[in-house]
Amino acid sequence: MVGTLNRAMEESSEPQLDAKSKVTNQLIDFQWKLGMAVSSDSCRSLKYPYVAVMLKVADHSGQVKNKSFEMTIPQFQNFYRQFKEIAAIIETV
Amino acid sequence: MAAELESSKCLSGLLSGLAQDTFYGHPGITEELLRSQLYPEVSLEEFRPFLAKMKGILKSIASADMDFNQLEAFLTAQTKKQGGITSEQAAVISKFWKSHKTKIRESLMNQSCWDRGLRGLSWRVDGKSQSRHSAQIHTPVAIMELEIGRSGQESEFLCLEFDEVKVSQVLKKLSEVEESISTLMQPA
Repeated sequence: MVGTLNRAMEESSEPQLDAKSKVTNQLIDFQWKLGMAVSSDSCRSLKYPYVAVMLKVADHSGQVKNKSFEMTIPQFQNFYRQFKEIAAIIETV
Repeated sequence: MAAELESSKCLSGLLSGLAQDTFYGHPGITEELLRSQLYPEVSLEEFRPFLAKMKGILKSIASADMDFNQLEAFLTAQTKKQGGITSEQAAVISKFWKSHKTKIRESLMNQSCWDRGLRGLSWRVDGKSQSRHSAQIHTPVAIMELEIGRSGQESEFLCLEFDEVKVSQVLKKLSEVEESISTLMQPA
């Protein structure tokens, strides 16, 4: 059992991860693509940019999986902003 | 055309119903429901082509993502057509598009996104003080949980662990994305 000094963002007296997923994965690779949806059968004038992400993750057993998802630009910017916050905090811990 | 159909009183409600069905994907908005709720005096035979016409107009406007100039030009043309719309109806349609444009566009964007989306993100930073596997002293770790999925389907919760080095690597990638976005958004 890994002992952790838990400085959780939310108040938590539990030493374990209170994440919904029980397994923590390591990020092996992060690939991204900036796409532009131009047109579709329901909308001839879509014109919206999006960020597509492909994560390569490994679980504790070493099994590697690909996980992909898309973000709108505002969603990406929120993601980026949160990551910057993490970086700032992790430096000070 | 029945007088009731000419009047623009219930047209706003009709357009809302059409938007619910065509763009927001709400089930159960049938022809008969719209007729009985909004134009009960009108027969189904007369209502059907009227509904089709309004649906066609709304879909054209949404499909072209018309700005207000294009909208005015388009609606004016519709008023001049044989079997077109009245200028009163044009005004109602114009008002409807102006207030619903953003939401309808968002729906269309969602409809064309076939991969899973990022539905949620939560994280915390832990300071690891010891580990069974190595003598790490005070190694901070970021734990991030991504909720990935599509609406109407169960999400996948992906839990990732990052050390400081990894956070920095990912941050660099994200700044590359940001740079690409800036380049894309620059006026031609």
